[in-house]
Amino acid sequence: MSANTAVVERYRNSFLKEVEANVEEGQWVKMCMQCGVCSGSCPLGPAWDHPPQEIFMMIRAGKRDEVLTSSSMWMCTSCYNCIVRCPRELPITHIMHGLANYAHRLGIAPKNQPTRKFAKLFWDNLSKKGRVNELKLGIALYFMNGLVSGIKTALKMAPLGINMVKTKRMSPMEYFGGHGIKDTKGLHAILKKAREIEAAKMQKF
Amino acid sequence: MADVKIGAYICKGCGIGDRLDTKQLAQVATRDAKAHVVREHDFLCNADGVKMIQNDIDSEGVNRVAICACSRRAKTEAFRFEGVAMTRANLREGVIWVRPATDEAQETTQEMADDYIRMAVTETKFMTLPQGSEKATYNRHILVVGGGISGMTAAVEAAKTGYPVILIEKTGTLGGSAGKAWRRIPQKAPYANPEDTGVAALIKAIEGNSQIKVHLNSTLTKTSGAPGRFAVDITTESGSTTTENVGAIIQASGYTEYDASKLTEFSYGKAKNVVTQAELDAMAKAANGAPLKNKDGKEIKSVAFVQCAGQRSTKEGHLNYCSGHCCLDSVKQAMYFKDANPAIDTNIIYTDLRTPGAGGEDFYRSGQNKGVTFTKGQVNEVTTDGTVKFKDLILNEDTEEKADLVVLATGMVPNSGVDIEVVKQDEPGQWKSNNESVLNLDYRQGKDIPLLKQGFNDSHFICFPYETRRTGIYTCGPVRRPMDMEQAMEDATGAALKAIQAVENAGQGRAAHPRSGDLSFPSFRREGCTQCKRCTVECPFGAIDEDEQRFPVFNEARCRRCGTCMGACPVRVISFENYSVDTVGQQLKNIDIPDEFSEKPRILVLACENDAYPALDMAAMRKIEYSAFARVIPVRCLGSVNTIWLTDALNSGYDGVVLMGCQKGDNYQCHFVKGSEMAHYRMSKVNDTLTTLNLETERVATYEVAITDIERAPQLINDMAATVEKVGMSPFKF
Amino acid sequence: MAEIVATNQTILVVGGGISGMTAALEAAECGKQVILVEKNPTVGGRVSQLYRYFPKLCHPTCGMEINLKRLRANKNVRLMTMTEVTGVSGDAGNYSVSLKINPRFVNENCTTCGACGEAVDVQFDDEHNYGLGQRKGAYLPHAMAYPQRYVIDPRIIGTADADKAKSACPVNAIDLNMKGESAKLTVGAIIWATGWRPFDANKIQPYGYDRIANVITSVEFERLADPHGPTGGKILRPSDNKEAKNIAFIQCAGSRDRNYLKHCSRICCMASLKQSTYVREKFGDEGKASIYYIDIRAIDRIDDFHQMVKNDPNVTFVKSKVARIDEDKSTGNPVLHGVNTEGYQRYANPHDLVVLAVGMEPSVPVGDFPIKVTVNEHGFIEQDESNGAIFAAGCSSDALDVNRAVQSATASALRAIQVVNRAAGMEG
Repeated sequence: MSANTAVVERYRNSFLKEVEANVEEGQWVKMCMQCGVCSGSCPLGPAWDHPPQEIFMMIRAGKRDEVLTSSSMWMCTSCYNCIVRCPRELPITHIMHGLANYAHRLGIAPKNQPTRKFAKLFWDNLSKKGRVNELKLGIALYFMNGLVSGIKTALKMAPLGINMVKTKRMSPMEYFGGHGIKDTKGLHAILKKAREIEAAKMQKF
Repeated sequence: MADVKIGAYICKGCGIGDRLDTKQLAQVATRDAKAHVVREHDFLCNADGVKMIQNDIDSEGVNRVAICACSRRAKTEAFRFEGVAMTRANLREGVIWVRPATDEAQETTQEMADDYIRMAVTETKFMTLPQGSEKATYNRHILVVGGGISGMTAAVEAAKTGYPVILIEKTGTLGGSAGKAWRRIPQKAPYANPEDTGVAALIKAIEGNSQIKVHLNSTLTKTSGAPGRFAVDITTESGSTTTENVGAIIQASGYTEYDASKLTEFSYGKAKNVVTQAELDAMAKAANGAPLKNKDGKEIKSVAFVQCAGQRSTKEGHLNYCSGHCCLDSVKQAMYFKDANPAIDTNIIYTDLRTPGAGGEDFYRSGQNKGVTFTKGQVNEVTTDGTVKFKDLILNEDTEEKADLVVLATGMVPNSGVDIEVVKQDEPGQWKSNNESVLNLDYRQGKDIPLLKQGFNDSHFICFPYETRRTGIYTCGPVRRPMDMEQAMEDATGAALKAIQAVENAGQGRAAHPRSGDLSFPSFRREGCTQCKRCTVECPFGAIDEDEQRFPVFNEARCRRCGTCMGACPVRVISFENYSVDTVGQQLKNIDIPDEFSEKPRILVLACENDAYPALDMAAMRKIEYSAFARVIPVRCLGSVNTIWLTDALNSGYDGVVLMGCQKGDNYQCHFVKGSEMAHYRMSKVNDTLTTLNLETERVATYEVAITDIERAPQLINDMAATVEKVGMSPFKF
Repeated sequence: MAEIVATNQTILVVGGGISGMTAALEAAECGKQVILVEKNPTVGGRVSQLYRYFPKLCHPTCGMEINLKRLRANKNVRLMTMTEVTGVSGDAGNYSVSLKINPRFVNENCTTCGACGEAVDVQFDDEHNYGLGQRKGAYLPHAMAYPQRYVIDPRIIGTADADKAKSACPVNAIDLNMKGESAKLTVGAIIWATGWRPFDANKIQPYGYDRIANVITSVEFERLADPHGPTGGKILRPSDNKEAKNIAFIQCAGSRDRNYLKHCSRICCMASLKQSTYVREKFGDEGKASIYYIDIRAIDRIDDFHQMVKNDPNVTFVKSKVARIDEDKSTGNPVLHGVNTEGYQRYANPHDLVVLAVGMEPSVPVGDFPIKVTVNEHGFIEQDESNGAIFAAGCSSDALDVNRAVQSATASALRAIQVVNRAAGMEG
């Protein structure tokens, strides 16, 4: 049984309760009073299929699949406008990331959602050595959507890259290994432990 | 009573002396109006001027005073003389401030002032200082009808103030609807949890109070009399009757929850798991903290609350109002479940969540915090298996929810007795009590208090929430207006004050609101009366009864002194000591009417003293001019205008008459309820008179004027001046 | 020190708005001795700044006229304007109260002839019109002001204008040497009725009250509609004095919001519904009103008013807390941005004028009470035994509409009477 099916079983009656238990800051969802100021304040608002306040209502209405497979919460750029404006002080930004992360963990997040892809690349890049390798991250992003578009983008960006190398803002040598933090091993141990804790949580479902 | 000795005092201040020939005014007062003492003063309202008048009262025997200065609304503190009848000639706001200071205008402006002097002095001649009724009776007992939370609170509060209380309750126990509830909406910060209803404590307070006499299983079978001297028959279930005398009455007859079985779309009575709010509270009270179970014995794991079930809707069989308390009560009831077991799902389906004030919003938040969910939705149906079908208004889709228990917020229906518009009073001599009635008044106009709307016995006045149309009888709690327990308790405390005040007023023969403290009262000349019954029918406050010979019986303590009866009387036998057919009629007859060819018409303006007259005053403060041909007389209420004044005016050669009352109709603004409406009705009949006199009907105009009509009120006068110019001068000038 | 006769059977009412006046008059008409203190030069409070009341659409000045008549006629009430309570000590049935009486510079000789006002040149923002217009340095606060007596603005004392005012007065009513006084009195019970103030709209930054001319508050809108107001009752927008025919009303401007006031101010929904009728009153079918709301709280019987407005095709309801307001520089129109949550519709709606239905904040900030009372986190006085014989009336006790404020005041009057009756040994 997948993690997803397991939680569906467990929270059959209430997606809200599932969110409260498993999503970062999920216990705030019930406090929303449907004023919509979050949805209106979001600078990326028009890009959302379901704005935050609607997502909260969908959670209460038990629309589990629609919420978790939605691309909406991946649209959040953490500008915090919604949190500042929310009359109930809901940590909306955190809830959006929490929902996205939760969907990702359950493996039902939309596969080709660009933010999700970027986040994954960023995380993989970062977690390797504890520092972001900008060169590798950039190249990985160029090729995110396949070889042809990757080459095109790389060619288009080449003059900028060369300028950055000239002004010593970027070192091509970084491509080979690149430098990391002092205790990479320690970092990996920390991350491993964190993964174990998270996995244990999911096991409980 | 000593001989009439009139003092007329003419002020020269505020420009009056500059703009008018006050010597001439003094002459007019002496020669035309026959004032006994006439004095001019540079500054009448200062200490010296006031002293001069007081001296005349003390040593010259002046007992009627005409202050010829500013408006009767100005300098009231200065012109306050004990023991004399007083009137005011409005030379400032009524003359110089509404007329241009030009040479051409001088003559007509002076004539205006001359007339106001004549009018004021004449008025004093025909008025006496009200002495108060000799029939005033003082009885400190307060009767409270209804032993629910409102009635009990009123009783306890009145007793705490030192007034003995008689409390009657229809059922065998005190407590009413509140007594059947398990908990109430919190009344104190942090407004987070349901709290004890307080009913038990109130019952204990009543039982331990020797000042409160309780009659259980009892109803009122007859109420007669007036404030200060009500006699009430209290009849028990078994039929035994005791009569008590009380000074004032508080009606706290409460509400009945709307009959949910009329709401067929919600399957009430058909589905086992559909209950009303009151039923859920009763279930909770019975369970007393134990898990709540459905009728089939199963534990309840999910609850759906349907707000506005048959409320706020104009559909047939629905209530078109909001009951005010249901949203908060549903939050409270959802907490019954959540506090006991957070795993129980509770969903409140609402269209507008109404949790007002500081406590309301805190309680809403507390409900959310406890996991109560809120869904903005319109419930269309509850099926017989208890499925709630609704439109989710946020997600914009039709959906449904299956719940173990469905709770309907059906709202409050007031227990207001009979609608006297429908159930007419029995004929004199054939009076019987009516089981449907709460008060069983033997008043000529009907057995209960007139309803405002939607069946509630509320006041129509924003500023005066305790106004009923039966003096000395106050309503409180949900019979007055839909409300929750906290509001009902606050309301009852206020009503207790009003009842106490009514007792004190009645004891001294003083009028109740809005002419608080007025000692005048209507007297009537029986010999002249034709038993036409207009006064008994038209009194807005049901103050007048009929005896068996069909003569009117005035109940002074019920009277509000508006004069509607005086306006109604076709034979003019009703009058007040300081306000009568003569005090106005003689004023208007004693002005100077220039002949037909003078091009100086005269326009009589009768203006409501509370709204139209202040509007003219305030227009004057802004120096908005109006015709010099107008002569304005303030009246207590347009309802007090007797058509004889119009006939007299037209017969004496006035060219036009303007009546200014308040807004009438459903949203009436008349503080005497029907005055303006009655006046409009009566004036619609005046056309006949005009036709008989061969006068154009445009010469009489009746308007609804608001106190804010500072531009319109003068304009209406000018309009009449224009009309007169158009139709020509009246031929009735002698 | 000023001499004031008062005893432990006297009731002190603090605040001369409709709640304070009602409490004072109701008690006085029961035969009790009352001292009514008001910090401003006139009684009447906030309601005297309203054009109409909901749901009857009658005029507050009408009820005020009756209350003033009651006040003039009743010798049991002593009114002290321009007076503030600075301290209270003692217990129920026996309080010692310190008062500060500010100089009016005009004595009882004043006949409101207006000569001083004409003589003075300097003008100040007119408080009665919430600063929308100007008034002279010698002024009558408004047409219904009571006591009907002019006031000299203390800011002109010592200037040539003050002397001009004095020499213009034909009745020697101006006394420029009038000094502030303090007084002490003993009372048995205190009714606290200091009322409310509109929430400061400048704090709601995204609504641009401070930078967009055509964004005003609901209390200011009342002044625009009032014939006594700065526009003579015409709805003209501030930027260009053009008629504003398409008006947006934004609910919960400061209320139900943890960033501002947590509580619901109760009156604002009905106030906006009422104000939407002003638009129709002035412009007929050409007038359009849009109400942006979270929940319409037309509580109890008066929901029929809400239904009536809803049936007006020229009034639109949008379930949305407006996110922000921009200004269209070319037209001066405020543009409202947000999401209609009923079915998720984004909007960017231009309007001629925006009215913020600002919340109700207690006049006295929580820390500033000169009395010891239980105040909740919203600043309202709670009914509590520990308050002794200090009773809150009207909006000092909760966000209330006029009707409920008057009820609350009437109830408080009884509570105060109970105390003074006990002091008089009259309890039953």
